[in-house]
Amino acid sequence: MLSVGEKAYCVALLALKNKEYANALSFFEKAAPYFSNNKEFTLYFETTRLLVEVKSKLGTLEVDDKLEIEEIFTHG
Amino acid sequence: MSQTDSLQSLESLLETFLDRVVFLKEKKLHVLDGINRLDDIGLLANQGKDVTDDIGDWFAAHNKWLTDRTLKDTELNRITGMLSKIKREINIDDNSSMAEQKISSEIDRWSNKKEHSAPILTLKRKPETSIPKPTTTPSSDSISLFVRRLSKMTALFMDYANSKNHILSVLEELLQKSSTETNKDALILSAFIIYYLKQNGYKVEPYVKKLKEAETLYKKGMF
Repeated sequence: MLSVGEKAYCVALLALKNKEYANALSFFEKAAPYFSNNKEFTLYFETTRLLVEVKSKLGTLEVDDKLEIEEIFTHG
Repeated sequence: MSQTDSLQSLESLLETFLDRVVFLKEKKLHVLDGINRLDDIGLLANQGKDVTDDIGDWFAAHNKWLTDRTLKDTELNRITGMLSKIKREINIDDNSSMAEQKISSEIDRWSNKKEHSAPILTLKRKPETSIPKPTTTPSSDSISLFVRRLSKMTALFMDYANSKNHILSVLEELLQKSSTETNKDALILSAFIIYYLKQNGYKVEPYVKKLKEAETLYKKGMF
């Protein structure tokens, strides 16, 4: 059987394939203790983490932009 | 460029990078997907659930792996081990359904074919005293192989030692290479350096531990 770390890494890569980045990140986090010395793993993990952060930040900014537009209409 | 533009540009760059990773690992991901699916089936079988249909579907999707011989030995061994465990969980006997017996025979077929496809290397040597040494012995091949390996490892060591001040820094980096790239030369060279350091009074326990981890990753060779 696959070890906990291997299975998590495997599922994380499969989630990346399906562009499910948040899902991939959660599985990378589970696998992280088992692959701390693996540079390739760390690269994929950190890239995914950064991408999820960027997407989250973009989501917030897009909401802010929308609120601003609504305000213009209210006073316009 | 606004903050949103910058973030969108970074988002696109990161997505492109991860897409490339997936593209380059496409074949490996397909194998991982199959192994992961089989692992899930194994867990269900372990819980006593009926996995006859699941394992039948798995064979239908992946049987060509056996005939195409596209898998690495480590992957094939892994799958065979998983299938054997599932077979034990299913517990086939004369009262088992036709479907279960078919699954059992498929697992046997997989195991047998795997055994036949694995190359077998048998080393034999003659008694040491009874026959005089021929001019060219098989051992001379092993010596030239070792010399070639030693020279490759020397080159590898020189590459890594070039920018370092201490042999421990070289060892650290070689162990990293052994783990991340599953490099056999780096693994053997690391073991050699550890033994050398031990003989010279260094504390080598942490490096032995790292070597064992690297060796485990090398044997699995999965990622």
